[in-house]
Amino acid sequence: MFDQLKQLAFAAPWWLWLLGLALCLTGSFALAGKGRAGRALSWVLAGLTFVGAIAFSVVVIIDMGWNLGFDSPWWLLLLLLIPVIWAFSYRSLAGLGRFRRPFAIGLRSLVLLLLVLCLAEAQLLKTSEKLTVMYLLDQSESVPLPRREAMMSYVIREVAKHRNPDREDAAGVIIFGREAKIESAPLSDDIPSVGKIEGLVDLRVDATNLEAALKLAQATFPEDTAKRVVIVTDGNENIGNAREVARLLTDKSIAIDVVPILLDARAEVAVEKVAMPVEVRKDQPLETRVVVNNYAGQTAEDGGMVRGRLKLTRRLGASDETLSEQEVDLSPGKNVFRFRHEIAESGVYTYQADFTPTDADDDLLTQNNRATAFTQVRGQGRVLLIEDWANRGRFDYLASRLRQNGIDVTIQGSDQLFTSLAELQGFDSVILADVPRSSGEDAGNVTNFSDEQIEMLVRNTETGCGLIMVGGESSFGAGGWSNTELEKAMPVDFQIKNAKIQAVGALVLMMHASEMAEGNYWQKVTAREAIKALGPMDYAGLIHWGPAGTDQWLWGAPQGLVRVSNRRQTMLARLDRMQPGDMPQFDPAMRMTLAAFNRVNASIKHAIIISDGDPSQPRQSTLNGFVAGKIKISTVAVGAHGAAGHKTLQSIATQTGGKYYVVTNPKALPRIYQREARRVARPLIYEPDGGVTPQIVYPHEMLNGIEGAMPPIKGFVLTTVKENPLVEVSIRSPKPADNVNNTILASWTYGVGRAVAFTSDAGVKWTDTWTGWENYDKFWSQMVRWSMRPSGDQGKFTVSTDYKDGKVQVVVTALDKNDEFLNFLDLSATIIGPDLKTFELDINQTAPGRYVGEFDAPADGNYFVNITAPGDPNAEDPRPSMLMAGVNVPYSQEYRDRESNLALVTALARMTPKDGEPGLIIQGEMAPGKMDQLLEADTFRHNLPKARSSQDVWPLLVLVAACLFFFDVAVRRIQFGLEWARPAVNWVREKVFHREKLEAPDDRLERLRQRKAAVSTSLDERRAAARFEPQPDEQAVDLDRVVEEVSGARPDAPPPRAAPTPTPSSEEEDSYTSRLMKAKQQAFKKKD
Amino acid sequence: MASTGCVGGGPSTEPERVWGGHGVTNGKFYRPRAMTLGPDDELYIVDMTGRIQVFTPQGEFIRDWRTPTIAQGKPSGLAFDQEGRLMVADTHYFRVLFYTPEGQLLEDRTIGGVNGHGPGEFNFVTHARQDSLGNYYVAEYGEYDRVQKFSPQREFICQWGGHGEEVGQFIRPQKMAIDEQNHIWVTDACNHRIQVFDASGDQPQLVKVWGRQGRQLGDLCYPYDLALDGQGHVYVCEFGNHRVQKLTLDGQPVGSWGVQGRRAGQLHNPWALALDRGGRVHVLDTYNHRVQTIRL
Repeated sequence: MFDQLKQLAFAAPWWLWLLGLALCLTGSFALAGKGRAGRALSWVLAGLTFVGAIAFSVVVIIDMGWNLGFDSPWWLLLLLLIPVIWAFSYRSLAGLGRFRRPFAIGLRSLVLLLLVLCLAEAQLLKTSEKLTVMYLLDQSESVPLPRREAMMSYVIREVAKHRNPDREDAAGVIIFGREAKIESAPLSDDIPSVGKIEGLVDLRVDATNLEAALKLAQATFPEDTAKRVVIVTDGNENIGNAREVARLLTDKSIAIDVVPILLDARAEVAVEKVAMPVEVRKDQPLETRVVVNNYAGQTAEDGGMVRGRLKLTRRLGASDETLSEQEVDLSPGKNVFRFRHEIAESGVYTYQADFTPTDADDDLLTQNNRATAFTQVRGQGRVLLIEDWANRGRFDYLASRLRQNGIDVTIQGSDQLFTSLAELQGFDSVILADVPRSSGEDAGNVTNFSDEQIEMLVRNTETGCGLIMVGGESSFGAGGWSNTELEKAMPVDFQIKNAKIQAVGALVLMMHASEMAEGNYWQKVTAREAIKALGPMDYAGLIHWGPAGTDQWLWGAPQGLVRVSNRRQTMLARLDRMQPGDMPQFDPAMRMTLAAFNRVNASIKHAIIISDGDPSQPRQSTLNGFVAGKIKISTVAVGAHGAAGHKTLQSIATQTGGKYYVVTNPKALPRIYQREARRVARPLIYEPDGGVTPQIVYPHEMLNGIEGAMPPIKGFVLTTVKENPLVEVSIRSPKPADNVNNTILASWTYGVGRAVAFTSDAGVKWTDTWTGWENYDKFWSQMVRWSMRPSGDQGKFTVSTDYKDGKVQVVVTALDKNDEFLNFLDLSATIIGPDLKTFELDINQTAPGRYVGEFDAPADGNYFVNITAPGDPNAEDPRPSMLMAGVNVPYSQEYRDRESNLALVTALARMTPKDGEPGLIIQGEMAPGKMDQLLEADTFRHNLPKARSSQDVWPLLVLVAACLFFFDVAVRRIQFGLEWARPAVNWVREKVFHREKLEAPDDRLERLRQRKAAVSTSLDERRAAARFEPQPDEQAVDLDRVVEEVSGARPDAPPPRAAPTPTPSSEEEDSYTSRLMKAKQQAFKKKD
Repeated sequence: MASTGCVGGGPSTEPERVWGGHGVTNGKFYRPRAMTLGPDDELYIVDMTGRIQVFTPQGEFIRDWRTPTIAQGKPSGLAFDQEGRLMVADTHYFRVLFYTPEGQLLEDRTIGGVNGHGPGEFNFVTHARQDSLGNYYVAEYGEYDRVQKFSPQREFICQWGGHGEEVGQFIRPQKMAIDEQNHIWVTDACNHRIQVFDASGDQPQLVKVWGRQGRQLGDLCYPYDLALDGQGHVYVCEFGNHRVQKLTLDGQPVGSWGVQGRRAGQLHNPWALALDRGGRVHVLDTYNHRVQTIRL
């Protein structure tokens, strides 16, 4: 019944609604004065009009695509008060007359209705037909490459075939492996065909994290649309829990379709692990076991045998040594190979086993053909000395002297840097010997310390290894190390905050790389690197073709160049909003740059232009200005305009003395910018005329036995000593005499490691006379030995680790020298994961002398466990003992999965979205040219609840209710007359239409008379209502009624309607009394 | 704000039609940079995906094709010759390609293709035009900002210009138009002016030059395209001022349309315009990835 009424209401045209309402209203008015029945019917019709008007409003709102909803619908029960209001108001508003009374009651009802809607928190709900489909493409390596490549093609064709543009359906793509990223944001358009998946460049595909993809999809969906995800996967999830997240999605009405990728049965060989002791002694016979699993089934022909080459290598630092390489035959199942050998040198060794099949068809997945392990051999101190590859050999003398003093020194060039923390863990101290953060001359050979490598150095120090930074022209701030993690680990800051020292550089970045792929992103990355490398007193400016269509400074306009000081974060924030446009010509921006340089007082001024080279070349006069100001411009040619597009850039660099780079791989850009920004840091080098003689200001342990004057030095790098009580400055330069920037030797403890800063060099340019100093060996060897990792445990500790079910268990057994259990030790441990992130591990005592801790190991690779045991205060080295252990977590489960996980796939598709239908499992072959079956399934089918967006309307309703309340009061208090209408019409006729004035009869006297009569009538009515009034004598017939009124016998008698009599009030008073007396006397007579 | 650029334009009015939009499918654009009218008032538009798309004057998509390669860069100039062939300035391949209106490449007609500064060699080609006598004019910028003249048989005849600010020189001659007297009108974009040449003799002669950098009515800021209406007016599209100006042939302003913005009636770095036979001006609103049609 309700549904039929609803259908009828929506089917009726608007004019029919209005006609019905008008009829009801007219009927209500017409019947108002027609007796008791008429009045009742009139009120019924008035009620119908009221309810109908509200119903019509609701129908109109819904017809416009909106709907009404309530957050607190129980308040709607208050609407039952509306009939009550009608009942009460009917009597109380009786004096308003037949027209104003229903109007006032209607307004009052409307006010109550609106207030109730407000209390019920009414909302307008908008529904949308739009559907958005996000395709989640599994790019993990468990899916064969051809299938992965075909996925994008499937999506493009599916969207083109089934997307409904009239409904403005949208489609987007997310790719996922170990993490997830958006390949194509959801847009109401087809998916562009670009030939390959662009996001794969930096996507890790060694694991399957479906959970991350689902979460990203949920966050990416637009609001006002129905939502579906289509997952293309083999289902071999090995990170996260997709089921839980999928449940959250379906709870939010997001549907899930799945396109399962079925893996073929395939031949597979995997190196399961390399097994060996974690710690051995020097020259101890050692057995290493390599476990190789052959998954091939036994066939009739060869029994499932697989032939291949098994190689075992051992790495110490950067040097590899092959222990064994042999042909092996693998029988189905596990095969174990044993290798016996000895280790002669101390250090941390990494072992790696590789298997290469003779026939590639026997082993389709190569990522699981390698396994690693490591072991530690304790011995004398080992030091890693890293030098600038572009200036090799400058520290050979230092290395030889250290070796002479019993320290193993390994020299490493900055172009062949360590790649893992495991390499660093083998050393007791690391020396950065005047090595810049980035070296090289052109885009092809520029190398740098990556952020990850710097982090490795810092983590290595935190966990006990020493770190010594030796000065030189390419070290500290002058080497571009400012604002890096390394600076935090050193006892001095690399930047100068003293304005009195003229160590100021100015750098302008000119950006025009909008045409290169992801040009805006790379411009932001490079600019960020450059700004981070600047010191607080340096000036920085960035100019680009801005959104306003002009060359603009990104900050600091109109000067352009502003001091970095505390604005660095603001600058970096502005970078995020930068949108460089297509600069028509170089000249205006270069002139602005030149003017900005000329305004600042900086020792070094430098500009870098990045461009695709097609703006018009600058004027020669502009270039001459740069040359005259000794301002070099380095140019970086990017994009795809070829050599012709780079002539202008080459010319600019050549004429001003800057460097010219041609970059084909944008990943080289940050290195180039780091190197170029280093030019601005040159003023940090301090070379006073005549040199200085360093002064020992603190008798540090490193300087034991060094007495007398130190040899002079010719220069050093300015730094700022950290304001930290742990920092010990042992040697200072007398110039500059500020005791802040003149540090020569400073040290502190960072984590449990020790860091040393020596700001001059080691017998190269500034300290060339030091090589003849008798304390040279003592100075350097004592410095290095002081920094070294603690020499070993004081008691008898054994550490064992075990990896199982994604967790690593660490067990420490502690005995004292008498083999008695050591109890109640406060052991702390730091774990360094394969991602180089450190985290603390709680180790608790579980039994006498036994301490156990456990941590999750989700990623494959080496986990290092550094356990700190309390030191013996009476020992020679009272520092806590460092116990080192580690565990190797084998490669990802990704490379073990050989079959699709159909259980997960089916479970996801069967989940029913709220108010929707379950998803589909879309079957078909994922291969180019064979997708017809896949394309039969319509992923844009709309069997989902329509999306609704809501908008609170209660503030508007409150406003309307307030206005209506005003009218409600006005209707009851103000009576409107229409006497003004006729004169107004006449005025319009006369003034506007120039008609002749109507000679109306002079009715002023008549109107005056009528008015007077009306006033008199009103006065009489009031008197009649207020007191007893006897009738005139001629109306004595009504005397009985008067007496009855006085006695209250007939309280409902109508008031007298006598015509007004203009009698003087005194006479009225007399006659009133006498008439009352007469009436009483007559009454008494009758009674008698 | 200090800048050497210029910002201009007046109050904007609603355009007759706005079409296109950001996208890579048919009928949408990614930073369209050149536009010309076909023999039947169809609009030919090339964008930064390297597609040449053809539309009806109402903006309905008809067909598209791509230039042979875009690895080094995309075309930035389009025009029709007397015989109804589309001339495409293949900027970063130093040549002018010829196509039939249907998109068939006429390889034997290609002008240029060699990078250099000799006769018939080019740097970045911006535009090509043909006069009523059949001579071709090709503008270029880069190392040598100049215009080269070729015979109807595409043989080199002469050249003029050169990089500079002097009268007769250019900095980025972006587009050309040819009037009834076969005078060559050149937008000298980075000098913010219009130069007109009589190239009928052996040595091209400067006929007139007007325009200066600014934002006021009558000033110019990076004029990137122009069109002559044959009734004594020239329409100039200003990349830097985000507007279209209507001027007399002597550079006196008659009116302008457009201010910077994203809404209909606003422009963002427009690159090109086209004037159809109905007197409508189609403006290529490059950074808004669309076309706006107005009457001015």
